Amino acid sequence: MTRRPVPSACASNIGRRQILKLMGLGGTALAAGGLGLGQRALAQEAGTVAFWATATLDIADKWPEFATQAGIAPEFTDNGNDLGPVIARLAAGNANDLFDVGGFQGGAEKELARQSAIVPWDLSKIPNYDSVWSWAKDIAYLKQDGKQYGIPTVINADSIIYRPDKLGKIDSYGAIFDPKLKGRVAMEDAWINSAIFTAMYLKESENQPIKDPGNLSESELGLVMEFLIKHKTDGQFRTFWNGWEQGVQLVADEEVDAMTGWEPIVYEGRKRGLQVEYAAPVEGYEGWGNNTVLLKGAEDRGTAEAAHRFVDGLLGGFYGCELGKARGYIVPTDKNLDYAKAHPTEYAPEEVEKLAEHVKAKFAGKVFWQNARPDNFQLYEEWWQKLRNA
Amino acid sequence: MNRRPLALIASPLLAILLLGAVPLALVLVWSFWTWDPATYWIKPDLSLAGYGAILEAGRWTVIVSTLLKAAGTAALCVVLAFPIAYAVHFLSGPRLQTVLLALITIPFFTSYLIRAFSWRLVLGRTGIVNTTLQQLGLTQAPVDWLLFSNFAVVVGLVASYLPFAVFPLVLAFKRVSPDLLAAAQDLGAGFWRAVVTVLVPLTMSGIFAGFLFVFVMAAGSSTEVQMLGGAGASIISVMINDVMRVANYPLAFAISTIVLVVIFALVLIGNAAFGLASLFGEEER
Repeated sequence: MTRRPVPSACASNIGRRQILKLMGLGGTALAAGGLGLGQRALAQEAGTVAFWATATLDIADKWPEFATQAGIAPEFTDNGNDLGPVIARLAAGNANDLFDVGGFQGGAEKELARQSAIVPWDLSKIPNYDSVWSWAKDIAYLKQDGKQYGIPTVINADSIIYRPDKLGKIDSYGAIFDPKLKGRVAMEDAWINSAIFTAMYLKESENQPIKDPGNLSESELGLVMEFLIKHKTDGQFRTFWNGWEQGVQLVADEEVDAMTGWEPIVYEGRKRGLQVEYAAPVEGYEGWGNNTVLLKGAEDRGTAEAAHRFVDGLLGGFYGCELGKARGYIVPTDKNLDYAKAHPTEYAPEEVEKLAEHVKAKFAGKVFWQNARPDNFQLYEEWWQKLRNA
Repeated sequence: MNRRPLALIASPLLAILLLGAVPLALVLVWSFWTWDPATYWIKPDLSLAGYGAILEAGRWTVIVSTLLKAAGTAALCVVLAFPIAYAVHFLSGPRLQTVLLALITIPFFTSYLIRAFSWRLVLGRTGIVNTTLQQLGLTQAPVDWLLFSNFAVVVGLVASYLPFAVFPLVLAFKRVSPDLLAAAQDLGAGFWRAVVTVLVPLTMSGIFAGFLFVFVMAAGSSTEVQMLGGAGASIISVMINDVMRVANYPLAFAISTIVLVVIFALVLIGNAAFGLASLFGEEER
């Protein structure tokens, strides 16, 4: 349903030793829990932070270098990037006993703050936050009741992947719903993205009464989903894709000529010799962010100071350069370029700058923000079932 | 009373209770609880809301279509597994038997994800099947329904779960003496008559066990449907996953309970009708 990480060279390699290590950690956690010692404080080494985040934020074997530079060692755990279980585990489970900092898709902050599962950041302890691009600071989800709950850590904007050699230039989501392309288009099998893309199209190009495509009211959602259901029953969609590999395969094997999706799929298609472009739709982009949040457990255990230093490190330049190099994603700060200029043998400054300018250009236009937890989230699921069964 | 067998069975029984029965009982009980938005968990306010929600948004159709798809896949697997088991038991020497059984296990050597994904490369527009059809002049353009269709899903499921039908049948065949088939043929029965009137009844427990194994696996699968099915194709496990994502736990538990009831009923009926336990008996018939 949600964004899965684009694999890096090392991301897909889980060796036996790592599995054993995980089993060992799990066993230790179980044993400690059984003794009533589940609190992370007992096991935590000084200068470490337990970072529970989507794998998109993982820099794998570069964490030790990050630790050296930031003076704080993160212990990264993949949260599976499925916000339902993540929120449930924070609100009703043991996640706050185990982790200090979370890295989640934007939109969950409101619910997590309401549950008191997260606490506000103290920006005076994150000096690098000043360098964050101003429009990234303005993402609505980051603040609740005037308090800063989220720090924008990775940001990008999505639109349409298409084959210009077959379709010419595409600049509207209308292509996805164009009957002339019946059976030659696809969308993602996730309401979190497909509903907002459709809502953006209906709002901007069909003048439908939609206020916020990222947070649809009951009637707006009905309008959007009925539109999708009609096109599905008309045979418009070849499939709804799921995950990075499937997205790449659809393009690479010419199953579709256009689909809504993630930009790295374009790069992969080009690597395979295909003429693939990423559209700049007149309706705008779907912006998305992975934001870091301070878990309540960190405050309870007295690790909040370390958590602040860690997040400051994420915005310090090295992490942004590494993430950009490995996955093509951007940390919204000019510190990346400063770091690359200071370390040109490790990161090409011109590449770092190019990536930053590319993302900035997307956000210079119209952007509607992805919302991982819209107000009517259970209704979204109900409509998505109707779509599946149509 | 001899206490040794009791002592021997105590630990596996306890494991089954703790790891099997207790979680299933919890699923059943929790299916009647109510989701509490304040705690993001469920509370013991008894309700049938979870079961009621199954009747909404076409969820019940997913349950029915999943069971039909699983039954169809299981039946197809049994039909394919029967001649395989026949060949393994009656037509092969010990060495060839070993080779054949090893070949049957090959699908298990690869990840279920890769297995399903590879069918996309075979059945897709630029896949082997479509390329061959066009090269032979049988079609002018790629056949679209080969992939992202129920056909593709069933192909993927059969390829994945066929071995689960083969092994119980091989086991059942082991208990059939070749003399019985020879006797039937001596008495004038042709090959097919001997198979239908002698072999099938004697291997019915294996046929049902194979059917049941595949049925359960197919009913619980999701990868094949998500990778090979049409736009937004669903199956029970995909639906449960969707529901869990929005924290509608009572509904997820209610769906799971219904599936459990169906499967338990199937096991009980099958055992009563075909004597599943006899599959593991010693005597040859």
